[in-house]
This record gives sequence, C-alpha cells and structure tokens, in this order.
Amino acid sequence: MEQSFDLPDSTDWLDTPVSLLAPLESSLRCQVCKDFFDTPVITSCSHTFCSLCIRRCLSTEGKCPTCRSGDQELKLRRNWLVQEILEAFQNARESVLTLAKKEAARIAAGTTEDPEPPHKKRRLREDSEDQEVHGTENGPQGVRTRSQTQVVQAPAAGRDHGRTSGSLEVVEDSQDEDCEPGDGTVACPICARRMKNEAVFAHLDSCTGNSNPVANPASNNPSSFGSLRPPARQMPISPSKAPERLPAMNYSLLKDTQLRKKFRDLGIPNWGPRQLLQRRHIEWMNLWNANCDSSFPKSKRALLRELDVWERTQGGLAPTQSSLGQTAAVMAKDFDTAQWSVNHGTDFKRLIENARKKSEAQVRSTISGVKPTSEQGDMPVDRLAEPPVEDEAEGLRAARWEPQIPDNMP
Amino acid sequence: MASSVAQKRLFHEYKNLSTNPPEGITAGPVSEDDMFYWEALIEGPGGTPFEGGVFAAELKFPKDYPLSPPTMKFVSGGVWHPNVYPNGTVCISILHPPGDDPNHYEHASERWSPIQSVEKILISVMSMLAEPNDESPANVEAAKMWRERRSEYEQKVRDEVRKGLGL
Repeated sequence: MEQSFDLPDSTDWLDTPVSLLAPLESSLRCQVCKDFFDTPVITSCSHTFCSLCIRRCLSTEGKCPTCRSGDQELKLRRNWLVQEILEAFQNARESVLTLAKKEAARIAAGTTEDPEPPHKKRRLREDSEDQEVHGTENGPQGVRTRSQTQVVQAPAAGRDHGRTSGSLEVVEDSQDEDCEPGDGTVACPICARRMKNEAVFAHLDSCTGNSNPVANPASNNPSSFGSLRPPARQMPISPSKAPERLPAMNYSLLKDTQLRKKFRDLGIPNWGPRQLLQRRHIEWMNLWNANCDSSFPKSKRALLRELDVWERTQGGLAPTQSSLGQTAAVMAKDFDTAQWSVNHGTDFKRLIENARKKSEAQVRSTISGVKPTSEQGDMPVDRLAEPPVEDEAEGLRAARWEPQIPDNMP
Repeated sequence: MASSVAQKRLFHEYKNLSTNPPEGITAGPVSEDDMFYWEALIEGPGGTPFEGGVFAAELKFPKDYPLSPPTMKFVSGGVWHPNVYPNGTVCISILHPPGDDPNHYEHASERWSPIQSVEKILISVMSMLAEPNDESPANVEAAKMWRERRSEYEQKVRDEVRKGLGL
C-alpha cells in the first residue's frame, strides 16, 4: 500500500517550471477513477471515461457522471485519439518529469549560471535520454519520443523468447507495462495476449495463434502496426475466449436455479442470495465488456481474479462490519444464513468455546451462586457479579450474543 | 492487487489534497491502513460568524466509492447550523446520491456523481457554512433562529466557535 502512495499524479508537475502540464495530465485522466484512461470510450454526450468506469456508472445509474444525461452501454464508442495522445504522453512523461524536477532543483539551488533555460533543457534531455537508451547510435537529436518507442515495441514483445533485439529499451518497455492496468504482465509473442511472466511458456504450448509458435515470433507480431488494433483480431486462442460481448440479463424472468446455471455456464461463482448474484453478474458483465474494448484484452483468468477482488471488497465476501450503515444494504430477507455460518463458523466456535470456559469458571467462583440456568439468562447476572474482568467480559458478551444473530434471521 | 478501485481513487485524492490543498481545508485518512475513514479540518469562512473557527469532521466512504458518496459528520460537538444535524452529520445535496431525494427539493445536478471529489465536498461544505440553505433544514431550531433571529444565531455560532477553540 505504501508504494501506491507514489501514484503518479497531475500534481507532480506543480512544483516544476512546467506546471502548466498539470492540467494537460489531469485531462488525460478519467474523472471517475482519477487514473490515466484505460481503454477510453466516449459517451453519446461526448464525455470520455475508462471503459470499465463508465460501464460501472451506467449500470448503477444509467447516467453520464459529468452531465447526467441518460446513456446506454451499447452506445459507448472507443476514443482512439485520446488513447493515442495518452500513450504519447505516458511515453514522454517520465523523462520530461525527471528533467523538470532537475530544473526545479537547479532553480531552487540558485545555480543560475546558465542564462538560457530552453537551450539547457534541450541538452539535458539528450543527456538523460542517452543514459536511458543503451546503444543508440542513430538520431543525435533529442526529439524522438513517439516514433522511437513504436519501433521498439516490436522487439520488446518478443523479448522473452530469444533476446534477439540488441537495443534493449528496458526503460521504455517497463514503463509501458506500468501503464497496463494489470500486474507486471508480458505479452505472448504470438497472440499478444498479456499474462504473467511465468505463464508465458505454459501458454505457448497451447497457443494456437500460429501453427509454428516458436519459429518466427517477429514476423506475425501485430505490434509492428502500432499498438492499437491488431491484437484484438489475433486474440481468439480458443473458441471460448473469443471476445464476444455479454448481453444484459433479465433477472426477473429467471428462476434462482436457472440463474445459477447460467452463472455456471459463464464460469463465475454462483453462490449467494439473488441480489448478490445480480450484482455479481453486473460486475462481471462490466469487466468482460470493458475487456472486449481493450487493445490488450486480458485472459478470462485475469478477469476472474478481478471479479474476486470485487467479491472481497464489495461483494459477498466483503467485510460486513463496514463503518458505513449504508453498505449494510443486505436486507434481512436476503441474508444468507448458511453462507454466513460457513464463513464465520470457526469464529463462532472459538467464541462459544471461550464463553463456555469463562462462564464455567465464573459459576465456580461466584459465591452468590445465582442460578446460572439458561445460557442467555445468566449473562447479565454474571456481569453484575464480576465486573472487573473487563476485556474478558467484553469477549464473553460478544460470544454469547453475537452468534445468535444468524439464528434469529428468518 | 487486492486494493480496490475505491482505495486507489482515494489514494489519488489524498495525494492531490496533500500536494495541492485548497485554502482552509486539510483532509486525509486517519490511518493509511484504512483508506475509507478520513478526517478533515475546515476553517470557518471569513466574513461569517464561523470565522476563526476550525471544524473537524470525519468522512466515511462506502466500498463502492465513487459510485456512492461518502458521509460526513462534524466531530467534537456539532456545528450550530441549519444544514447540520444536532449530532454533527452534514446534510448537503452533494452528499446525496441522485437516486434518492428524501426531501424532494434538490436538483439532480447538485447531487453526488462519481466525478465529484472530497475536495469538492469540502469546498461545498465551506460555502454551506457561509450560506445556509433553509429549505429543508437538518436542524430545525437552528434554521428557525437563522431565519427569524439572525443576530442571536450569529452570536450563538460565535460562542460555539470560541468554545470549540477552548477560549
């Protein structure tokens, strides 16, 4: 979590001489997640968001978050230009920021012996680029961000294979990967799908993107065409993974069992009460369809992992003692007693165990011997009789009373 | 990895607020272990009876933030204001999701949307302190006093501010 706090942000520019880049950067960020656009799409009202963000908004509210005019997911269109601008900006960001910070530090230090800041800038840029780019003997001019990185992307994709490309632009490449929403994934040299580093070789055995996978990875590498379209076309690896959009479901027309069967067919968890099933399906639909928009679609496994994160943060496995009353939106009638008991069974057992021990001990030590008859009845009396055991009494009370809740549920 | 969209967005907002804070406003998570619980300090706007005061508030974020708005509550004894419940909870349109309008007076355009932010909430609250909205008061007594006995209201607010500062 600590390194998340180093999130790059538009405010990074503020204390530099190029603070005017801050508004540029913030307009390349999605207003909903505040991150750089991931697969930007444009609404009918011409506002741009990440595909996933706007899908989530539309599925909860059906309105554009910016202007609140109604819209539908089906009307979303890719915003290629924004994506291109963003890619160019991200490629340049680190070096420009480094430069800007150096400049800021120089100004702060008061070393003003250089009277020509623009000129100096140009030279610094060359220096810093030459440090980053190993072994580039061509192009002595500093201005070569976009075209350079495009050329480099092709070998970079195949780099896991044979390290054939001499000029390893490690810096640029890793930077690109950081921009991916995923987690340090690499592209399969054949189908360009992104996956975990260690998964690549296993995947290559089954990858049908090419009949002869290892022989000639560069020739059919799609990224020679710019990084935008081709991977989507090369994506289908097995029929089940074809990026076909999921249609909305009319939940009210389906019985519970039918719904659960559909979930099984989709390959997503089908436990929990109906309301949770609906929410889960909506999230899955959003994840899936946003992934269909993506230039670098993730595998279904990756999407399932994201669904799992959702499940643990907002879904059925989310911590229930949320600080906010509003999140306790699970109505009594939807309360899944069985699931609750399963999830918290061990806790309950432990608490009950502790409580039993405690109460036995107390019964023995209480001289007054007030009828410890019923399990619940003796509680308050015990507490009266023996107030000093603070923490234990607290635990005891919890043990006695909390576990009762699910049983009392309808 | 397990950090949710909400956490990441809150980190962004936190960073933004700490590097570039709006005037008179400080806010951040109480502990970085729980991004869903924030504390904020708001200065009383100048030229109002709240001037000179510093008001602490807590913000609680739902797990599906920013789809749903946070709640905000003034701590350390409420604030005497028509739009603040006696227990400190702030009642302001930007904190209400567009779907539910219990009071039927708020325009959808004033209400919560995922593009709003903590910063905008706090700025709205600051201007709310300066200009109460007495159409649907959260604190009826305060609203009545504000409407009918303005000077008494202002005196009471000033007294509370002084008390809050320990004077």
